[in-house]
Amino acid sequence: MDGSGIIRGLLIPLKHFFVTYIDDLKWLGKKYFKPEGISLRSSAETRGIFTVQYPEEKLPVPEEFRFIPFLVYDEGQDGSRQIRCTACGICTKVCPPQCIWIERHNDAETGRPVSTPVSYTIDIDLCMNCGFCAEFCPFDAIRMDHDYELANTNRYEHDVLQLEELLKPASYYASIRPENYTREEVRKAEKLASKTIKTTEMDTANPN
Amino acid sequence: MTEEKLNTSGLEIPKELENVIQLTTLDRIYNWSRRNSVWPMMFGLACCAIEMICTAASRYDLSRFGMEVMRPSPRQADVIIVSGTVTKKMVPQIVRLYNQMAEPKYVISMGACANGGGPFKEGYSVVPGIDKFLPVDVYIPGCPPTPQALLNGLITLQKKIDGESISKVRWYQKNVEEGIPIPVLGPDLMDPRQYDDISRFGRIQSPEIVDDDHIKNEELDENDTGVAS
Repeated sequence: MDGSGIIRGLLIPLKHFFVTYIDDLKWLGKKYFKPEGISLRSSAETRGIFTVQYPEEKLPVPEEFRFIPFLVYDEGQDGSRQIRCTACGICTKVCPPQCIWIERHNDAETGRPVSTPVSYTIDIDLCMNCGFCAEFCPFDAIRMDHDYELANTNRYEHDVLQLEELLKPASYYASIRPENYTREEVRKAEKLASKTIKTTEMDTANPN
Repeated sequence: MTEEKLNTSGLEIPKELENVIQLTTLDRIYNWSRRNSVWPMMFGLACCAIEMICTAASRYDLSRFGMEVMRPSPRQADVIIVSGTVTKKMVPQIVRLYNQMAEPKYVISMGACANGGGPFKEGYSVVPGIDKFLPVDVYIPGCPPTPQALLNGLITLQKKIDGESISKVRWYQKNVEEGIPIPVLGPDLMDPRQYDDISRFGRIQSPEIVDDDHIKNEELDENDTGVAS
């Protein structure tokens, strides 16, 4: 019959409408504003409407989600900050839109370069979130952030990030990317172990 | 969200009348009614537009903020979401659409390209930032911003509207503004005879500063290479 397809199509939203209320009763009080609710509604089992009530509840982002880069620093025993970045400039070179500017200084006495950046600027309005900087950094110093709530009314104040705004502790990195963090730490420990073995071998071979 | 704040006018109501009278200020009720009916224009430029469409669909649902109708006509729209790369060929049309919008009107610059040119900032065909031509109210960084980031930007716009005052907003001033001069398609985009008019709107202050900007960019490039070497 002509038009039966349209009627069948219109029945689908009607079905969703009723299913929503049935499902709400089934998950009474647990479906909204709760982590289990949001995981249910992002899964394939979701039924009915599934709107994310954004400011009140947020979709959990996957670990590999990347937005804006940030600089990682290690916290020392006495609370001091050890910036991992050595101002080598690899990130500035690989950055496709070239949104990173690093300034480094030479030591006034020796004239040799200091291994921390004096200033580090990222214009996040040029950044295309590709993650190349994080991929290429040999010191695990720059990583991609998960924070996407960056809307502002003045780009020149808020979107050109300086060193202090970019620095975040390694514990923060571990909290947003636990798997990556443990993998990197294991790799680092292995490297260190093999290095010490080598040096001890060298020491035993040449006691002098 | 601000319904609680709507009736806090700062004036004292006698105790016996508290349940009968509600006081508010003209600014507050005006802003409240307007912030909850900001209609975006149905207008997309590049990949950010896909995210904007996604935001308007049922998954994220703009209508929860009173922005349910994307108006295909600038006459009925309150906010223009510049979503995507602004090419030199498109910018005259964008400015024309902005001029055709009825006041009060707002501009949201969505994504890296609209904010500052993004990966195409030095492209021969791309305008490095819509704020050179339009007075942008909210910038949303990201490439592209996720739907939730866009919603965050729209909430920022609502907060901005909350802070406005009828006596101060530019569209109720005595000397009514002319429209923004429409750029002409070409290498410079701006008609040199209109520099004074253009300087009143976008970021560009005067033709001299345009030149300065250019020089500054060159200096930055030099620094960049100097560091890397």
